[in-house]
Amino acid sequence: MKSIVTDLSRRAFVERFVKTFLGVSLLPGLSALRGAGAPARAPAKSIIFLYLRGGLSHIDTFDPKPGRPEMGGVNAIGTTADGVQVSEWFPQMARQMHHVSLVRSMTSTQGIHELGTYSAHTSHFMTPTIRHPSLGSWAAKLLGSQNRFLPGNVLINGSPQHPGSGYFPAHLAPLPIVDPGAGLQNSVLPAAVSEADFNRRAALARAIGSHFVQQTPHRDAAAYLKVHQEAAALMKSEDLKVFDITREDAKTQAAYGAHTFGKGCLLARRLVEAGVRFIEVEDDQNWDTHNDQIKSMRLMTPSVDQTMAALLADLHQRGLLASTLVVMATEFGRTPQISTVTAGRGHHPGVFTWWLAGGGVKGGYVHGQSDAIGEHVAENPVTMPDLNATVAMALGMDIGHIEHSPSGRPFTVADKGQPVTALFA
Amino acid sequence: MKRSTPILLIGLAASLGAAEVPRFEADVLPVLYRHCFSCHSEKQAKPKGGLRFDSAASLVDAAVITPGKPDESELLQRVSLPHTDEDVMPPLKGGAQPLSEAERALLRAWIADGAKLDGWVKFQHREAPLGEPGAPVARTAVPVVARHVDALIDRHHTAKGTTLNAPASDEVFLRRVYLDVAGRIPSLEESTRFLADTREDRRARLIDALLAGEGYVSHTYNWKADQLRLNPRALAGGQPAWLYDDWVKDTIRQGLPQDGMVRQLITAKGYLWENGAAGFYLRDLGMPLDHASNLSRIFLGTRMECAQCHDHPLEPVTQKDFFQMAAFTAGVSNLSSPGGYSNDNVTQWPEIKARLARMDADKALQDGVSRAISPLKRLTKDTEKPLTFPATYIYDKSVQGHPVAPRTLFGDEAPVIDGDRRRAFAEWITSPRNPRFAKNAANRLWKRVMGAGLIEPVDSLTALPHPEHRELLEFLTSALIGFRFDERAFLAVLLNTRLYQSEAVRERPEPGSAFGLHGPLLRRLSAEQIWDSHLVLLVPDLDERKSAVRHEGSLLNPARLRRLTTMNADEIIARSRDEMAYRVRRREHTLRLAEQKKELAAAQARGNAAEVQRVQAGHARENENFFSPELQALEMGDAQPAPETDPRWQSLPRNFLRASEIPLPLPLGHFLRQFGQSDRREIDAFNRDPNTTHALALMNGELAARVLAPDSLLRRQLASADGHRDRMTALIYRALLVRSPSDGERSTIASLTATSLTPVEDMIWALLNSPEFLFQR
Repeated sequence: MKSIVTDLSRRAFVERFVKTFLGVSLLPGLSALRGAGAPARAPAKSIIFLYLRGGLSHIDTFDPKPGRPEMGGVNAIGTTADGVQVSEWFPQMARQMHHVSLVRSMTSTQGIHELGTYSAHTSHFMTPTIRHPSLGSWAAKLLGSQNRFLPGNVLINGSPQHPGSGYFPAHLAPLPIVDPGAGLQNSVLPAAVSEADFNRRAALARAIGSHFVQQTPHRDAAAYLKVHQEAAALMKSEDLKVFDITREDAKTQAAYGAHTFGKGCLLARRLVEAGVRFIEVEDDQNWDTHNDQIKSMRLMTPSVDQTMAALLADLHQRGLLASTLVVMATEFGRTPQISTVTAGRGHHPGVFTWWLAGGGVKGGYVHGQSDAIGEHVAENPVTMPDLNATVAMALGMDIGHIEHSPSGRPFTVADKGQPVTALFA
Repeated sequence: MKRSTPILLIGLAASLGAAEVPRFEADVLPVLYRHCFSCHSEKQAKPKGGLRFDSAASLVDAAVITPGKPDESELLQRVSLPHTDEDVMPPLKGGAQPLSEAERALLRAWIADGAKLDGWVKFQHREAPLGEPGAPVARTAVPVVARHVDALIDRHHTAKGTTLNAPASDEVFLRRVYLDVAGRIPSLEESTRFLADTREDRRARLIDALLAGEGYVSHTYNWKADQLRLNPRALAGGQPAWLYDDWVKDTIRQGLPQDGMVRQLITAKGYLWENGAAGFYLRDLGMPLDHASNLSRIFLGTRMECAQCHDHPLEPVTQKDFFQMAAFTAGVSNLSSPGGYSNDNVTQWPEIKARLARMDADKALQDGVSRAISPLKRLTKDTEKPLTFPATYIYDKSVQGHPVAPRTLFGDEAPVIDGDRRRAFAEWITSPRNPRFAKNAANRLWKRVMGAGLIEPVDSLTALPHPEHRELLEFLTSALIGFRFDERAFLAVLLNTRLYQSEAVRERPEPGSAFGLHGPLLRRLSAEQIWDSHLVLLVPDLDERKSAVRHEGSLLNPARLRRLTTMNADEIIARSRDEMAYRVRRREHTLRLAEQKKELAAAQARGNAAEVQRVQAGHARENENFFSPELQALEMGDAQPAPETDPRWQSLPRNFLRASEIPLPLPLGHFLRQFGQSDRREIDAFNRDPNTTHALALMNGELAARVLAPDSLLRRQLASADGHRDRMTALIYRALLVRSPSDGERSTIASLTATSLTPVEDMIWALLNSPEFLFQR
């Protein structure tokens, strides 16, 4: 008996797979999808979006205020970028700052985790009437994937409240990798099951499932039939090896670090090499430091410093940094004042820092400033929609392209955000 | 495909009827409320441009409407400007939403018809309280109340010219009611028993039995845990955080009515081991404003978090409104005020302090005492610290830094209770006169079993009357009040309605459309329901199997903490010394363990199996007696998983428990996380979107392999049908999908497994991997 999957010719299968996964046809030149407003240089091919959830303190990281009491005794150190200092907790990133554009004038009005996270990912305020697609789903929608088998949008260690595909079809949602150390979970057959068994059972499940789906117009029912096919196809794909970071040499694995974020970033680099368009890696640490700021930062910063620096160095050394945009984002900063009660810092959306590296942006550059104590924007405010518009443009998306929600409302990738063109080299 | 605006216009025209003219209160007022009142109403300290639209007089004064002449009306002109125009109303940069084409058309039609106010005088921002509650309604009245709901739904269909879906079969009802009440599919035995029952009232009986069962506690716990964000890791450290989870389970098990539960949460005081409800405050350490937002969202169906930092951009709810509500609870220790973690919370502290001074205690002893009493320092209590207007409060700079007087947002003012703000707040929230408390609870319970609320989103209650299903929701609200917030009685009503027992609506309703009342909505099972339903096939008497974690012997053992609370100063100091001795011994043990490891390795390297055994046995003996009985009695260890002693479950992994028995946070890659279980950082942060990883888990994951194994519970239950192909097929369908296979399915199975050596496994695998297993119909 033949399975559904092997019935298809390879070519037909590829097209089908890519269509179901990505919602776009692969074969016409992707450049046709790119809009006018992009810079004249070649757009970045991939993006690694690093998300530090909880609200990363800007003062204790990439916007230090040397000598100020708000630093709580923490020092600033020089970096490989002239005149740019970072906190002493980022000695390894200090050696990569010549690749990095810091945006120290990020500002938002969303001081609640859920709402800030939502804005960071979608460029919209959360409202009860619609769920907007995340930037990664826009990338998958507008740009597709460069790999014939792999999805264009992957989320490593994401939290369940990630906005995902929003009102876009579910297949544009990021493929989640819950444990980057384990690769793509459950992607190999159990030892007791032969391929013939699997094919026979999959065909049976599909036949029975089709019957249910015919009686059930609910879009998620059909989507489940589809994801079963996709999963079966993925299991047979050579590209599955991409998910196995143990194929990297021991030195590389050690450089990124054995913690979840390190493994996630190493996997992200492998996915970039395989042509995946948008990879988001969330740190598994919670940066919501309401209590004991200094102690918490001392515990949490070494791993991210190591990993982010290793990622930039590795991409650079492999010649991938020019075509790969790396962005570090968080939902808001933290108050300059350290609480006398809890010794922590509160939520502070008024000003905070994101950074970009590679993918055609300037290195060793600082855009915008916060004031003397890091409380307000002093110069060149940048909103999350602005920054996301910049990212979208760097990737070659048309930021004016309109997609309509099911109820007919028009939306663009970064809402009304204006790209920060000063960041482009 | 793009949907263009003309479709919306056609839709609007159809809904209004060709000749109908919009009416002010029903049609126009909601548009003004949603798009204008957040800047132009009496709620703002200074309405923008000095314009107010929330009373007839101020609307006339504003002079933005020229009756009969839409194109000359500034209101319509400004809302019709392109989004890029600076003068467009509402201004979009604050998060406000532009008017839709349909809303503009509505305003145009209303103005063209003369902008009639039909006697409207002003908008009541402060929603009126409900009347005094009627007499209590007994549980025995459930059937009568259910028939009344049926009648209201019939009336709805008669008016709309629509109908209920066809009645659901016993099989459909059976699977549905188990999933909704017990949170899992029925076991093969349970299905067989019900389907053999021929009594007229078998469904009502099953509903009652399920509501009384432990499955209901488990499933209701998950539902409430998502709302309360129950995650022991999120509580203050060094505390027996699971006691809050246990408290919630106990209130469900004991049938504490919703109003009582909320009262206990809001007024919670003391230590967790005295009162698990204190976790309500320990959960939101240092976050009084988020705490207040979440509280209003889950208990009042009202989202106020936008107003934490500024006036709400979409509703006439001000930052002041928010602060006034938050002021009731913000003084609780551990939320915002100092004093939540302090020696002063330890009653023995003054005496301990005096004694330590007298004996001139060294630093080590002082630290030892400090550690010993550490759990007692964290106390939930009221403090005098008032909530103050923040330095960023821009609407009235003169009050920045000044205390906020607590005040309720709607309904009655809070009662005055001996200066006890929290009791006053709790009484106001849970009062049957509160216009949103019972309504919110009724709407959420409706959603739990019907798949969508009568008002959606469930936390979008406002002062604006909700146009759809008003009479039905009012009746349900009064029924819940009549049952005195007994959730089981209320659910029994819903489950006994003809609506619930109709065929499901299999389409996904358009976002924003009203509940059609044809039947419950088809929906994907929650992560917990999928996990628990797999376990039904693996674990006998699943609902009875409880958490494996044992706290006896651990630092946070509640009995130990209770003893600590009652010790006198001398006993505590003596105890601190013992604990210091224990820690010295533990350091010795740590070193000894490292040596033991080397000794074992050396023995293994010599390759003498008998010697290895001897060494291991020697180590085991040594470790068992390493701590003297006195030191062991101090209970200084960690919580431990207890070995399974029940013969029913001894062959099963210890973590094959109902999801409600597995404490969060779960490790990355756990089945429950994969299927989108909420991590409970935010309210209802679960995700049910289909994903490729779900298919991989169902095809290749551990649960599936266990179900297929020849000794699994399911396979043993199927043994009676061995060799009878048709009976086997029927049993597998009943066990997994709770229905009979169709003739078509039988022949598909027969042909696709004709040459298979493992037809039973094939069938089970295929049904587990059919989308139908993941959905509730």
